[in-house]
Amino acid sequence: MTASVLAAGVLEDTIRAFFQGLPIGAGFALVAMSFVLTYKTSGVFNLAFGAQAFISAATYFELHVRRDWPIWAAVLVAVVLVAPVLGLLLERLIFRHVHASSAVAKLVISLGLLVALPELFKLIVDYNREQPFGAVGIIPDGTTIYRLFGRYPVTRDEIAAFVIVVAAAVALAALFRNTRLGLRIRAVVQSPRMTELNGVNADWVSSGSWMLSSFFAGLAGVLLVPTTSSLGTVLEPTGYFPIVISALAAAALGRLVSLPAALFGGLLLGVVTTQMRTHVPRDNVILAELQGPALPYVMLFAIIVFWPAIRRQVAGADPLLGVSPPPPALAATSRSRGMTIYTRIMALAFFTAVGIFTFGYANNFWISRITHSVIFSIIFLSIVVFTGLGGQIALCQVTFAAIGAFGAMQFAQRWDISVMVGMLAGAAIAAAVGAVLSIPVMRLGGIWLAIATLAFALFFHDVLVKYSWVGGSLFHGRGVPRPEFLGVDFSSRENFLILCVAILVLVGVLVILIRESSTGMALRALRGSETAAESIGVISWRSRVIVFSVSAGIAAIGGGLLAMEERLVGYEANFDPQTGLFWLVIVVVLGTRTVEGGIQAGVAFVIFPELVLHRWLGLDGAWRYVLFGFAAISFARHPEGLLEHGKRRSQALMQSMFARRQPAMAPAGAGAGATAGDGPPADAGAHPGDEP
Amino acid sequence: MSLLAAEGITKRFAGITALDDVSIALEEGERVGLIGPNGAGKTTLFNCLLGLLRPEAGSVSFDGHDITRLPVYRRARLGIGRTFQRVELFSGSSVRDHLLFAHRIRSGTGALWKDVLGLGLPKPAEIESCDALLESLGLGGMGDEPIEALSLGQSRLVEVARALMTQPRVVLLDEPSSGLDRAETNALAETLARIQLEQGFGLLLVEHDVELVASFTERTYVLNFGRLITSGDTPEVMQDPEVRAAYLGDFVAGTQ
Amino acid sequence: MNGPAETAAAPVATPAPLEIPVLELRHVNAAYGPFRALFDVSLTVGEGETVALLGRNGAGKTTVARVASGLVEPTEGEVMVDGNDFTKVRAHRYAKAGVVHVPEGRAVFGDFTVEENLTLAFSRTHDRSGVRNALTRAFELFPPIAQRRRQIAGTLSGGEQRMLAMARVLVESPRLLIADELSLGLAPIVTDEVYAVLGRIRDAGTSLLIVEQHMGHALALCDRAVLLDHGAISWQGPTEEAAEAIGAALFDAGAQ
Ligand SMILES: Nc1ncnc2c1ncn2[C@@H]1O[C@H](COP(=O)(O)OP(=O)(O)OP(=O)(O)O)[C@@H](O)[C@H]1O
Ligand SMILES: Nc1ncnc2c1ncn2[C@@H]1O[C@H](COP(=O)(O)OP(=O)(O)O)[C@@H](O)[C@H]1O
Ligand SMILES: [Mg+2]
Ligand SMILES: [Mg+2]
Repeated sequence: MTASVLAAGVLEDTIRAFFQGLPIGAGFALVAMSFVLTYKTSGVFNLAFGAQAFISAATYFELHVRRDWPIWAAVLVAVVLVAPVLGLLLERLIFRHVHASSAVAKLVISLGLLVALPELFKLIVDYNREQPFGAVGIIPDGTTIYRLFGRYPVTRDEIAAFVIVVAAAVALAALFRNTRLGLRIRAVVQSPRMTELNGVNADWVSSGSWMLSSFFAGLAGVLLVPTTSSLGTVLEPTGYFPIVISALAAAALGRLVSLPAALFGGLLLGVVTTQMRTHVPRDNVILAELQGPALPYVMLFAIIVFWPAIRRQVAGADPLLGVSPPPPALAATSRSRGMTIYTRIMALAFFTAVGIFTFGYANNFWISRITHSVIFSIIFLSIVVFTGLGGQIALCQVTFAAIGAFGAMQFAQRWDISVMVGMLAGAAIAAAVGAVLSIPVMRLGGIWLAIATLAFALFFHDVLVKYSWVGGSLFHGRGVPRPEFLGVDFSSRENFLILCVAILVLVGVLVILIRESSTGMALRALRGSETAAESIGVISWRSRVIVFSVSAGIAAIGGGLLAMEERLVGYEANFDPQTGLFWLVIVVVLGTRTVEGGIQAGVAFVIFPELVLHRWLGLDGAWRYVLFGFAAISFARHPEGLLEHGKRRSQALMQSMFARRQPAMAPAGAGAGATAGDGPPADAGAHPGDEP
Repeated sequence: MSLLAAEGITKRFAGITALDDVSIALEEGERVGLIGPNGAGKTTLFNCLLGLLRPEAGSVSFDGHDITRLPVYRRARLGIGRTFQRVELFSGSSVRDHLLFAHRIRSGTGALWKDVLGLGLPKPAEIESCDALLESLGLGGMGDEPIEALSLGQSRLVEVARALMTQPRVVLLDEPSSGLDRAETNALAETLARIQLEQGFGLLLVEHDVELVASFTERTYVLNFGRLITSGDTPEVMQDPEVRAAYLGDFVAGTQ
Repeated sequence: MNGPAETAAAPVATPAPLEIPVLELRHVNAAYGPFRALFDVSLTVGEGETVALLGRNGAGKTTVARVASGLVEPTEGEVMVDGNDFTKVRAHRYAKAGVVHVPEGRAVFGDFTVEENLTLAFSRTHDRSGVRNALTRAFELFPPIAQRRRQIAGTLSGGEQRMLAMARVLVESPRLLIADELSLGLAPIVTDEVYAVLGRIRDAGTSLLIVEQHMGHALALCDRAVLLDHGAISWQGPTEEAAEAIGAALFDAGAQ
């Protein structure tokens, strides 16, 4: 074989891979453009994209495959009708009301929708009555194969997808470049009120742009089915996840705002993927992984961390934000004394009751549930630290918990070291990983931080767990013992529960101390305004490393305890990254600002599906996703959590029944004048509705 | 040796030179004005002094040390406090919290172990001193208001209070009086003067309220198109024909 | 809809206007959630009339301006525009009825270029060539922003952003111009220029409602003054009488 023949073979392979890569890239590009479109037109980083795409695809599947509608009718309903109406509903009912909220709050809402929408859809159309096998595309005879230049095979589906994507890119570019409407859409994202002052009906514009972006999500949903292996066989919402992650990398190339960059990035990623499969040798373990599931996550992570265009987004402050009343005070420190006492009494009563029940009456099942609640409370306190104190969203708390669990297991099994020490070592490792991770990603903050941590979690899930020094043997570390130390044996159910409660109390106190003192103050300042915080001397990177590693350590302790309780590391059941999304949602709904919030979330996470949904209401367990997913919407309005909000309301009600609030009346003429609540008449401080 | 000095600062943005070889100096206990037309580069100079922007050329020194390469928080900890022309407040915190944060971060070492042992909690004396400062700026009784409920002028006063709470040796004020009327401006000037007398910090004031600059500062620098056009005793600068043409128009001190 | 203005209990000091006023607030109360800001404010701006809204920091001037342009819905009372009930009407309808509002502070779209900001404003009422003409006139009015027409508005200096916000409305003569903190952040020479333009617009028949801290200019321009205190109107009348009444009220309060 001569060198020239070899070279010709390589060239041939390269060209073949290029033509294989383009259609894959077109899929990435379509999703990336939808992301960019939604972000540009609404300011929402819409992780619920997968849910919207799934609903259109599943509607099409239901109508065309299961009910034998003709293709055109099914497409009309699924893409032209259902998708825009869904977009309209999302805008009207949800996103219009949270315009002023931070990007992070909107991200949480979209996470809630990602959890809730597909489940709701499935419950409504009874989608899972049989396995959704055999989804097909919307192009008639889509699998027909053509040969480009007589040799490179492409299917009709792939050609159609490519053409539609390029046409969409051109149309959207024209909309934003040249039309008045494009300008108005971009104006509304920045400030609906300013746009109104220019005589434009901002509500209409924003409804319209949501319908448009939702239409694109629906279109992507049906177009991707035949070209995506994870969707073609069984049509499930999770099938969109990998492609969404890859597409995020493409969207990130254009900082989420450039449509041409999203198109180009998508195509490029498609081509790079197939080229790597063709040319990179598989004999090296790491290189082999890179051709498999790891590639999209690594690319996403690398782009976010290294792409110079991606910087911390300065909250594009709406100049008329001040027109809305301020959100409720956030910190738990702003609670009144009465509130604190009230809370303490309630908590005491609750814990006494639970204690009596547990040690008096409970059977093994309930003791185990209660122990689980306590452990999840500990894990959720890590979210309280990160999201409540740090004001950021990290989607890799599951990973840290898993590190704790594996740490406990590895130390106990390999070296026969006390499992308690193993757990603490796991926590230390998690904290160190958190610290290392925090340096590149915390610089970015906001949605970038959330995506980067998600990429890390998925990377751990798909790659790292498989190594024996992480995840143990194939059957994921059975036989995790319970600890024995200080001469006490904690292996009985009751004793172990006591140990968990003790650790929960310790961690809770730790969280409160951090929140109330210098570190907590620095974090609150940073959350309010980074520039101003640094200008009074807050060392931003240090505060960030601290929250990230403290939070990771707490999660790992919880993970270790969970492994001890279950006596094995139930990785698939407990530590799947998609489970982690639900963790975040439930904590955010019940309260990220307080230790109680975390504990309530822990209890709700374990007990609610079991007790309330299943036993009392006899409902499908999937309703918990729907309920908590939609409840996440409340995060934007009540960042202190629904329960805290409810308590404040009831307490305020009680107070107003007993005494009318005394206004803080500024002495007339003393400098700046009126306190917000007071006016000249004697009814100063009264609420608007109070006036006779 | 000046307390705060900038030497030959040049800063360019795409296409425009916002600062062109600007040098200024400020002594302990001095009150200096910095005026100039809109877009002259005053705020940009502040950003270069505090480190929010890195100049292309020039150096900044504080108390004899070169601080050109220090990050913002190090400069703040050395004792440079500032307010922002576009208010930068900690959304979600109360008015008092703003002062408390500033005081804590400046005084406490903020070590995590102290927090964990419960040594980092705010003390009643701290809270009192915050309230006292609020009172003297005319924000008495507003300590518990959420920061979003304040009008523009009140927000500016909170920024001033926050800067003063860091026990600064130099204070940079960027249009502190905008949103305040004459009487309130005078009250602010009086308070500033009093606190300055107690603490002895140097004060650099950017203002378009020429009345305030004329009555409050001893010395004034004038910037135009990024270049220093004059500097000197305030009354003389106010008479300078070039300054009048570029900036003051037919303003006459003491008539408004 | 188009009924004549009712002869509701007119505020004592207002002379009952003969024709239908452009803007009328009747016994307006307004609040931000639980924070009450206005108490029983009644105010009219007649055809071609110019009104100065004065008051201390936090008195509620901005809130009155927001109510008058539909940004804040009153909790009680009515807002009439040209005799039509606009109480529950959204802000874009006010704009279409010719009520334009320049909010306080940096009221620009920060992610747009200077030109895009202006194009958005002009494109509602003009076709393409009309927009181009309006742009030219805006840039003639404020040369500093003409040089920066492709700069992102969020990176303009504070004063340049104010100029951009003013340019949006000063090119045309609307029915009613509401300007909040008009001269805030503008160099004295620019302030003079803006007032000169306002004078021309007034002569072209526009009614003005102006919020201003520096009273000299405002009183020279306006026919009538309204003084707000703690969210209620404490005095209103012709500007000739205003100087003493207002000056006394403000200075007394501040001097304590
Ligand atoms: N990030 C930036 N990018 C481009 N140009 C900028 C940027 N920041 C400032 N400029 C320009 O630099 C010049 C100086 O701005 P600066 O904010 O320092 O002005 P200033 O003197 O504070 O004016 P004002 O009195 O209006 O506040 C302005 O012309 C402004 O447009
Ligand atoms: N968004 C808001 N939420 C709550 N209170 C507000 C808000 N905006 C203004 N206020 C309060 O309303 C009162 C009047 O404010 P404003 O109209 O801005 O005053 P001015 O413009 O006269 O300085 C002030 O006491 C202020 O604290
Ligand atoms: Mg400035
Ligand atoms: Mg105001």
